[in-house]
Amino acid sequence: MTAAAPLAIVGYYEPWWIQIIKAIVIFAVGLQLVPVVLIAERKLLGRFQGRYGPNRVGPYGALQPLADILKLLTKEQFRPTTSVGFLFALAPTISILTAVAAFAIIPFGDTQDIFGTKVGLYGLDVSIGPLYLFAFGAVAFYGIMLGGWSSGSKYSFLGAMRGAAQLISYEVSQGLALVGVIFTAQTLSLTGIVTAQKGMWYFIPQFFGFLVFLVAGFAETNRAPFDLTEADAELVGGYNTEFGGGRFASYYFAEYLNVLVVSGIVTTVFLGGWLLPFGIHPPGWVDPIVVLLKMSLITFLFIWVRATLPRLRYDQLMSFGWKVLLPLATLNTLVTAIVVVATH
Amino acid sequence: MSQVIFFIAAIGVISGAVGVVMLRNPFYAVLALVAHLLSLAVLFLLLRAEFVAAIQVVIYAGAVMVLYVFVVAYVGDQTQPLGERIGAPGAVGSRLRLGGLLLAGALVVELLIALLGTGLQAIDGKGAGYTPGPQAFGTPAYIGKLLLTRFLLAFEVASFLLLIAAVGGVVLARRRHGLDEQEEEDLLVPMDLLRPGSAGTMAEGVGRR
Repeated sequence: MTAAAPLAIVGYYEPWWIQIIKAIVIFAVGLQLVPVVLIAERKLLGRFQGRYGPNRVGPYGALQPLADILKLLTKEQFRPTTSVGFLFALAPTISILTAVAAFAIIPFGDTQDIFGTKVGLYGLDVSIGPLYLFAFGAVAFYGIMLGGWSSGSKYSFLGAMRGAAQLISYEVSQGLALVGVIFTAQTLSLTGIVTAQKGMWYFIPQFFGFLVFLVAGFAETNRAPFDLTEADAELVGGYNTEFGGGRFASYYFAEYLNVLVVSGIVTTVFLGGWLLPFGIHPPGWVDPIVVLLKMSLITFLFIWVRATLPRLRYDQLMSFGWKVLLPLATLNTLVTAIVVVATH
Repeated sequence: MSQVIFFIAAIGVISGAVGVVMLRNPFYAVLALVAHLLSLAVLFLLLRAEFVAAIQVVIYAGAVMVLYVFVVAYVGDQTQPLGERIGAPGAVGSRLRLGGLLLAGALVVELLIALLGTGLQAIDGKGAGYTPGPQAFGTPAYIGKLLLTRFLLAFEVASFLLLIAAVGGVVLARRRHGLDEQEEEDLLVPMDLLRPGSAGTMAEGVGRR
C-alpha cells in the first residue's frame, strides 16, 4: 500500500479493486450524465424561447443527444492543411481527460459499508481538496489554447487567446471565493467541508463567496454570458471552429462535464453536499440522489442564465473580472478571516 | 508501482528540460517546459508532497506558463527560429556563444559543489518516515504550520518582495503608453461619427470617457 494512493489521506486505505471499480463507475456516471444535460438544455432553451425544442427522435425527443453523438462519432476525421497535426489531435484529449479527472473529487455521499468494506462515495478525498480542482483547471486551459493555436486559423487563435486571458482572470476570483469556506470549515478535504455544514449550509454565511464562485464558474466553463472563447457571432466558433466529428464531440463533452463539475463543487461547498435540512437523516443510499438533485438545480441555473443574459463585450468581461469580482472575493476572504479569528 | 511511475515521470522531466533547450520553435520550447513542470509535479506526488505538487501545477503550469504561451503565440513567429542570432557569424554571435559557455561552466561547478557536498550522502538515506493522517508531512496543514511559526520571517519577506515586484510592474507599465492623448482622440473621433447613438464605445469600455 505504499504507492497505491499517494493522494488519499482519509483515515483508511481502500483495497485496490475498490479503487478500480470506483474509477470505472465515476467515468460511467459522468458519461451518462452528459447526454441528460444536453437534452435538458435543448428542451429548456426551447421552452425559454417559446418553442418546443427537439421532439422528433424518440419519445419527446429524448433520444436526440444519442443521435447527435452517433452522428458526430461516425463522421470523417479531417483537419485543415494549416493545422499542426499531433497538437490538433492532442488538444481535445487534454480537455476531456481533465474534465473527467476533476469529476473524481465530487463527493456523492458519506463512507458506506459495501460488502463489508468501507467505501467512500467519491473518486478520492484529497487533503488538498479544491487545489486538485484548480490544478486540473490549469491543465484544461491547454486543451483550449492548443486547440485554437494548432488549428492554424485566425478565428480559432483569437478564441484561444480570449480563453487564455479569461481563464487566468477568473481563476483567481474563483480560488479566493473558496478561501472563506476553507477558513470556516477549517479543512481542505471536500468531505470534511460537507460534514462541517451540519449546522448551516455555507451559502448563508458565505453568500458573497457563493455568488463570486458561481459567476467565476460561468466564466471558467466558457458558458454564456461569458462564452467569448466561442462567441459564434464574432468568431464563427472560437477555438473549436476547425474541429469536427469525434474531436468536436470531445470538446462538447468536456464543456458539459465541466458544467457538471462546477455544479458538483457548488453543491458540495455551499449547498451542504449530501446533507438534508432540518436534521433529516435518510439511509446512506439516498445520499447520491440528494447530491444529484442539488447538482441539477445548479445546472438548471446555468441553462437559465444562458437563455436570459446577452454576451458581454470583451473589455467588460475583463474589467468585471478584475475590478468587481476580485475585490469582492478579497473582501469576503478578509471579513471571514476576521470573523473566524474573533469567534475562536 | 512507484518505481514505474518514477521512471516515466523522470523521463518526462529530463526530456522536457532537454526539449526547452534544443527545440528551435519557441512555441514548442514553451510546451516542452510545460511537460517538464507537469512531470515534476508527478515526482512531488511520489515524494508525498501533494500540496507542493498541486501548487506546482496551479502556479507554474497554470499561471506562469499561460503568460509565456500567450506571449510566444502572439509574438513568436514560426519562420524565425530562435537559434539564428546565436548561430549568426560576426561579433554578436561569437560573444553570445562565449557568454553561454561561461554561464554553463559556472552552473556545472555550482552543481558539482552541491552534489559532492550533500547530495551524495543523501542517496543512501531512507528519507523521513511517513504516517498518513491529516497533519502528516507534506499536507497543507503541516506546511501552513511551518510557514506561520518556524519560517514566518522568510515567508513575510518573500511575500513583500512579490508585492514590490507586482507594484513595480504596474508602475513601469503605466509609464510606457502607446499613443498620446491627441493622437488617440483623432483616431477615435471618426469611429464615434459612424456609430449609432445608442451604442457604447470601446473608449468608454476602457474608462477613457
